[in-house]
Amino acid sequence: MTGTTSTGTPRIIFDGQPIPYAVGDSVAMAVLRAGQHPHHGGTLCLAGDCPSCVCEVGGIAYVRTCQTPATPGLSIRRHPEIGAPALRPVPQPDVTRPPVLADISVRRIEADLVVIGRGDSGRAAAGDAERAGRSVTVLDAADGNEVVAIYSGPTVIVRRSDAMVHVHAHDIVVATGAAELHPVCPGNMLIGIVTARAAEQMHAAGVDLGVAVAVGVAPVAVPCTVLDGTIVEVVGEPTSGRVTGVVTTSGTAVCDTLIVGLGLSGRDLLSRMTGPDQPVTLVGPASEKFALPACPTEGIICPCSKVAVEDLQGVWDRGFHELELVKRASLCGTGTCQGGVCGPYLRSFVADRSGSVPEPFTARPASRQITLGEASADVYTDAFRRSPLHDEHLALGARLDRFGTWFRPWNYGDPIAEYWAVREAVSLGDVSTLGKLLVSGPDAVELLERLYPTTVADIRVGRSRYVLLLNERGHLIDDGMICREGENRFVLTFTSGGAANAEMWVRDWVETWNLNVHILDQTMSLAAINVTGPLAAELLGRLGVDEPPKFLQHIHADVAGVPCHVMRLSFTGEASFELHHAVDRSVELWRALMGAGQDLGIKPHGLQALFGLRLEKGHVIVGMDSEMDSTPRRLNMDWAVKMGKPDFLGKSALARTNELPNERRLFGFTIEGDAPTEGSPIYAADDNGVERLAGHVASSFTSPLLGHGIMLGWIKKLPWPHTVTIDGRTATVAEPPFYDPQGRRARA
Amino acid sequence: MPSPYTLHGTRIVASPTTLDAVVWPIDTTALRFAPDDVFVIDDESANATGDANDYVNLNVIGEHAIVAPEAGFVGCWLDADQLAHVAEHIDWTLPPLADRPVLAQGFIAGVPAKLYLATGEEAVTARHALLLTNAAYAHELWERLS
Repeated sequence: MTGTTSTGTPRIIFDGQPIPYAVGDSVAMAVLRAGQHPHHGGTLCLAGDCPSCVCEVGGIAYVRTCQTPATPGLSIRRHPEIGAPALRPVPQPDVTRPPVLADISVRRIEADLVVIGRGDSGRAAAGDAERAGRSVTVLDAADGNEVVAIYSGPTVIVRRSDAMVHVHAHDIVVATGAAELHPVCPGNMLIGIVTARAAEQMHAAGVDLGVAVAVGVAPVAVPCTVLDGTIVEVVGEPTSGRVTGVVTTSGTAVCDTLIVGLGLSGRDLLSRMTGPDQPVTLVGPASEKFALPACPTEGIICPCSKVAVEDLQGVWDRGFHELELVKRASLCGTGTCQGGVCGPYLRSFVADRSGSVPEPFTARPASRQITLGEASADVYTDAFRRSPLHDEHLALGARLDRFGTWFRPWNYGDPIAEYWAVREAVSLGDVSTLGKLLVSGPDAVELLERLYPTTVADIRVGRSRYVLLLNERGHLIDDGMICREGENRFVLTFTSGGAANAEMWVRDWVETWNLNVHILDQTMSLAAINVTGPLAAELLGRLGVDEPPKFLQHIHADVAGVPCHVMRLSFTGEASFELHHAVDRSVELWRALMGAGQDLGIKPHGLQALFGLRLEKGHVIVGMDSEMDSTPRRLNMDWAVKMGKPDFLGKSALARTNELPNERRLFGFTIEGDAPTEGSPIYAADDNGVERLAGHVASSFTSPLLGHGIMLGWIKKLPWPHTVTIDGRTATVAEPPFYDPQGRRARA
Repeated sequence: MPSPYTLHGTRIVASPTTLDAVVWPIDTTALRFAPDDVFVIDDESANATGDANDYVNLNVIGEHAIVAPEAGFVGCWLDADQLAHVAEHIDWTLPPLADRPVLAQGFIAGVPAKLYLATGEEAVTARHALLLTNAAYAHELWERLS
């Protein structure tokens, strides 16, 4: 099948059949010339206002064929009469990779005055503006610049064949003219009804209208019979669905084509997309307040969604009496034409029932159907941050994954070896992603006392403390360390994933409490390397730190010549030193540490090993082990809360909920063999010995050191069981830590 | 796009009124990230060198103000054509010429970034704008702009 006949006449392919067209035809005109209808009936305007000519063109649905030039071989399929065109199957996307978007570019330009439409009123507005010294940009679909939306700003969204264009304009003039009213009456979805302007176009193009009858304002220079009165019913032939006649209040006529000249309605859709404060001006017919049509009594009012007058009445009878509500409840005005056809009738209906004429409803982009590719053009996927050590990790064979908006090493190829390096030698972990706030000011202590459930005033300079961050309901939202730098100066750390929210949280409360505190977020200014393992102190000693800080102390020292804030803590269960330093010195420091630790068996460790190491110590990861409503008591972390303090965020909630039965709690579990998968259900026997769902596993690890599986998991059932069933196996409830319960190694 | 380099400077967090009253040395550029937060770079640092010792020497502004060396941002100066290219990846309106010099902040190519737009006078030596972002976002931003 080709796009031309043997004589060279160009053809399009309509529903699988080639049909010839004349040069200059739109697709819709070619289809009409062939005696067919681009849809399955309904009034045609051939001006882009109605849904009666939309088809699937070249594989893209909802294309207005009256605005689409016919080209040789162009494939067109009609939409189904009822329902939406079927989506084409697409291959299952690879969810581990960013989505591949259609390669449609966006051009952004700035403009002084944008005039939309180059009809009479548009040309007049542009001329006036140019004479006043304005720089004018005229956009019109006929020139290939189809305006589909205006956003506040204002920004005009233009669809072109080669790109989407975002025009940032100082002022916008909407000169889009007026649309013709369609009839709403019995039979108004038959084939063979056209507006007066459409009839003029068809006649000029040489399309045979057959016996034509016009009702209302007759078309210019189109042979037809004019029938007076208003339309009562369009009569058709049931099998073909074609018009055979029309009945008006003054008479009846037989016809092949009914031409309707029922009045106009301003095309003001684009101007209704922005708020009233935007510099958008309507001019010409688009701005005119045309008389609304009479309220219809029968027929399809919304050809897009096939909403009939009786459907509107049903919505009205159910109590939806405002225009926006009637629209939403009936879907009238939400379809392809976005109220272009039904809008005036919808307002007329509400005016008739309520006694007052409602303003047109708010319009929302886009005014035309655009493809998902066009809608997402130049939309970027989330940007993931990279640690300054990103390339070092890759060079060491790291498998990186996304965690908390950062790329982080999951492992370096052998997570078990990484685990043993921490337990038996020394290892480096990239913890640059931790949140880091510097807090300074005369009210710093008061701020932190109010924020945290632990005491802060008694932290001595050079000391640090592990802290929970609770919200007003006493639920855990983050955790971290407080390091006291001076009388009124502190460094706060937060989890990698919670850092951004924590910063906002702290700033909000400073403002709420009107405290005199300065805050500097150094999360992305400072990198951090965790040096951990029984040989960590020896490694630091080799690089100039003769006296490393003791457990929960911190110092400022040069490590291999790099100024560092050295914090002694432990998440792995071994002696650990976090080296916070300027990001531009991080590679230098990392390489110095790796080089100096070669004979100590140094290896980097990724998150996979770290998650297991910390689980052996029973350390909770916020968001992984905790839930949205986890209180310290539920997490078995009451020890981190000082209820004797005068006040702190969440105290009153904890005081109340601590008196209630504790119906859920995070427990530790041990199990023979490999650990079950995280998320596994936990079953416990009820009073009758029947096993019932009692909770789930939050995190799990098969401990190389212990030789069995360990877990943290939630039990949401009283009384607390001593044994449970997980993965079909018996697991024992055991209070963590599972490793070095006295914490001697961390303090060594 | 020119390659980015580390912008060494000084980060100062102090009360807005204190910062409002500061007259910055003529050979520095003060990038006001927030009413209480300014990043001060000297012109040499912002221009090219990336020397770790380029920190601007400033007296402490108030007892509790935070004055810290800052090396967490990377950036580069753009000429007019490069700025026009970057602007194609910006979904917000650039501040008009009359408002410059000015620091604009927002997403550029979907990445949080900042754009210091110079005056016409500053712009004569191909320094129309300083594009900067956190070092953690640098790779993503420059890849998207290239």
